[in-house]
Amino acid sequence: MPRDDAPPRVAPHDMVHLGRLLQLSDSTLPVGSFAFSNGLESALQTGVVTNPADLQQYVELMLRQAARMDGVAMLHAHRAAVAGDHGAILHADAELMCRRVGEEQQMMLARMGRKYAELVLKITPCPPLGLWLRDIKADATPGCFPVGQAIALAHLGADEVEAFVMHQYGVASMLLSAALRLMRIDHMDTQRILFAVQGRAQDDYLAVRDLTLEEMASFAPVFDVLVAHHTTTHVRLFMN
Amino acid sequence: MTLHEHLGRLDAARELRGYQTQPAQMRAAGPGKVGELRLGFSMRHGRSVLHDLYRVAPLLVQQALYWDEAMPELPICAIISVGGGILQGDRYRIEISVGEGACALVNSQSANRIHQMDANYASQHQTIKVDAGAYLEYLPDFTIPYRGSRFINQTEITVAPDATLLYGEMVLAGRKHHHAEERFGFDLLSMAVAVRRPDGRKLFAEKLLAGRDDGMIDFAAVMRGFDAFANVMCITPVETASRIKERFETNFGTDSPRAISGVSRLPNGAGLMLRVVGVESYDVRSEVRRFWRIVREEARGRTLPEEVLWR
Repeated sequence: MPRDDAPPRVAPHDMVHLGRLLQLSDSTLPVGSFAFSNGLESALQTGVVTNPADLQQYVELMLRQAARMDGVAMLHAHRAAVAGDHGAILHADAELMCRRVGEEQQMMLARMGRKYAELVLKITPCPPLGLWLRDIKADATPGCFPVGQAIALAHLGADEVEAFVMHQYGVASMLLSAALRLMRIDHMDTQRILFAVQGRAQDDYLAVRDLTLEEMASFAPVFDVLVAHHTTTHVRLFMN
Repeated sequence: MTLHEHLGRLDAARELRGYQTQPAQMRAAGPGKVGELRLGFSMRHGRSVLHDLYRVAPLLVQQALYWDEAMPELPICAIISVGGGILQGDRYRIEISVGEGACALVNSQSANRIHQMDANYASQHQTIKVDAGAYLEYLPDFTIPYRGSRFINQTEITVAPDATLLYGEMVLAGRKHHHAEERFGFDLLSMAVAVRRPDGRKLFAEKLLAGRDDGMIDFAAVMRGFDAFANVMCITPVETASRIKERFETNFGTDSPRAISGVSRLPNGAGLMLRVVGVESYDVRSEVRRFWRIVREEARGRTLPEEVLWR
């Protein structure tokens, strides 16, 4: 039995904070991620991914890429949001979109960004996100998903590490939920992969936290061809 | 920006921090280690000509020749490197401009070999400017980074809204049959490109960064089973881009293909990007030529001649 005068183990504020972060990381969050497979559909059709071991490699590669591209933009947007610098948020937004090759990849980035902003503004007031959404509607900024996440999460008091981990988790869970619908794999295997790949989070963060926007980089030539492949396929379940 | 400011910015790149030792031979960026090339094309008396040529060895261009039978008005310059490849401590600077309404093709005499290094690195900075209504094909041959080499390349492109640029980078994994660790055995390959309009608005940027410590080179979505790749961008007006994309058939066979390829749209209506991955350099080259032919036909109403036998 704890003594009456013992301090509470966890501040109530932190519990609410954690709950909100979990809500916004949930793979069922209605931002449209269910419609995208990030190249996985083409990877399966072309035999680049054929089994759970391939899938795990694919998810790891996507996480590495996401960290070094979207993750960098997200960290910059988060820092700009914390500093109240709307101009710097728009700069990170434009720099990320101008590095996105493939019309479906661009659509995923912008559609999820807009949906996310609309959703968050429905459930809680967030003036900087409202400003950003206004600029999206005015075609003044592309509205990339990780930038929206950064603005909302900064407003909710999440630090940049929490925001980065949530972003990376979202990438992995989107791919794995697409995998369940696309290939022979069960929920146990996808959860095992999800658990394993999260082991990358800290190394990925440390690798990218000091990078400038100009330093966003990638290297996955076969994936780049897959992106082009998907736009020309006739039978498809996903939008990319 | 001066030559040394451009190259100095590359020297400060984060990925080069571990490669700052001086070569035991000639010092990095010293006399004889900085190659420079400036090519300017423009319309003179109704004809596209090379009106400006400045060169510093080991880079060399002699003169423009008009040997393309399918496009006889096209001045063609081959970049020659008299040094036999890029060595540690080399610094290259290439500047190409095409004036209003002019056209040009710039290629290279042979593959660009980046030799093994035990100190320092090699860098290259390129500036490409294509003015209103102009047309440039800049398609250097394969870059072959040898085991242990470090190479950084930055390309800054300015293209007018109604101009067309075809710019390609092709890379082979190393001297394939030379050594067990040669395939993707380079220490560093860093290739960045940025495309802007003349008013400074950035349309597209990309940086490829690969190193020996990546550990993912043989992942199926990276380079498993393939040794060569190419990224060829076509910066062109949206209507031309749509026609090209419509005609280019994606090639992604599932039964051990020799090469796979596809075309994607660039952001901000900048144009298209051809991505190719292949087993051998000639597998990749034939996909690039397939795209090149369509681009030339749609952008300029001319086709490509047959490939010469010695290529």
